[in-house]
Amino acid sequence: MTRLRVAYALAVVGLGVGLWFALTAPPDVLQGEYSRLLYIHVPTLWLAFLAFAVTSVASIGWLIRKRQRWDRVAAASVEIGVLFTAIGIAVGMIWGKAVWGVAWDWMDPRMATTAVMLFVYIGYLALRSATDDPYSRARRSAILGSIAVIQVPLVYFSVNMFRTLHQTQSIRPDGATMPDEMVIALTVNVAAFTLVYVTLLATRVGLARRMGGATPTGELAGAAVTPPRTGEIEDV
Amino acid sequence: MSLWTQVVEIARVDLVVERRIGDVFRIVLPFAVAALFVFPIALGVELATMRRVGPAVFWTLGILFGMQVALRHSATDTPPRRDMQALAGLDPAARFLGRAISGAVVMTGFLVVVYVAMVALYDSETTSWWVTGLAALLFAAGLTTLSTLVGEATTGLRHRTGLASLLIAPLSLPLVLAASQTLAAVSDGTGILPWMLLMTGTDIALLVAGVGLARPLEEAGR
Repeated sequence: MTRLRVAYALAVVGLGVGLWFALTAPPDVLQGEYSRLLYIHVPTLWLAFLAFAVTSVASIGWLIRKRQRWDRVAAASVEIGVLFTAIGIAVGMIWGKAVWGVAWDWMDPRMATTAVMLFVYIGYLALRSATDDPYSRARRSAILGSIAVIQVPLVYFSVNMFRTLHQTQSIRPDGATMPDEMVIALTVNVAAFTLVYVTLLATRVGLARRMGGATPTGELAGAAVTPPRTGEIEDV
Repeated sequence: MSLWTQVVEIARVDLVVERRIGDVFRIVLPFAVAALFVFPIALGVELATMRRVGPAVFWTLGILFGMQVALRHSATDTPPRRDMQALAGLDPAARFLGRAISGAVVMTGFLVVVYVAMVALYDSETTSWWVTGLAALLFAAGLTTLSTLVGEATTGLRHRTGLASLLIAPLSLPLVLAASQTLAAVSDGTGILPWMLLMTGTDIALLVAGVGLARPLEEAGR
């Protein structure tokens, strides 16, 4: 519990520092103050990619080890990933409306593939909710979790595969296409959001572990009690 | 019995069952062709518009009805049949591969009929028949492999058809994207190789995943 509190404190401090860097970084020449949305949009989607990659690893872990904790990590990570993908898309739409003039552009494959990725993981959560037996649920979701990650590289590389409104990667092996101040602010925010992810993941996994004993297994309360048959009752 | 003999036998039995029951060619296919009539009514019966949207309509029907083809009743095992196959020593990987192959054969036939109907009704031009055929084949192989995988993972669940469709539709994005872009590239005179590679890569990845996960998939259906 103490470790979790420390993680929460670090995450809050990280977000505060990230916000300070985001507000003090130089604005983009063309986009002006709207460019500061970069420091929310990119980290949220980075976090989503990380969450889905963790789900994939945890799913493979479950298929190999069959330990319940792998299933808890995979499910918790998807929940966080879905939340942050939705936030990333919403922030991107606000940014797009301000800069491109449209919130959603069908000519942009990055937007379309990100939305599709969101639906894949909404499907993952639907699959979990449709399965009552915990073991069967873990197995079915591990199968899906291990293959659904195929969407992540498709989203990431879509800007390289198609001509899009989105720019290609700003930070590349041969250097960044942004000023150093912006790169630092972005890096700090990515680190802060990663801390948030780790904290949320630990909290959700802990919650799932505590709920584990209370998970319904299909049998209703009182099912073991049978009503007395009147023929067996003597001296009523 | 070797793995490949088992694969061929499973595929053969599936095709025989499909021929007898006719899930795809008596129910799904007429429905898909009927859907071809809906689009011109909704969009307006202007020939130029129909020619332009024809290939897009084809792939849309391919994905929507393709899922029904792959999840057809004739390719769904009952629990006693699964148990019997397991007791007989059938390799889960052979079962998966056989089912995927039979599905791909049925799906390719389905796509060929829908494409010919689309060309006839929408007066759409086909620049290269062999590229279209190859794209349809790779698309069919990928979609049936994916649908077999997801279909097995959702066996026995409530709302299985809706749930499986929710999972298959977004996961098939690389296939739909590559297939439609291949035809667009042929029309524009640009290279088709990247799209063909994307489809082939996706097909292989799905096949490897399906074979690798065959045992958990079989257990999931119990």
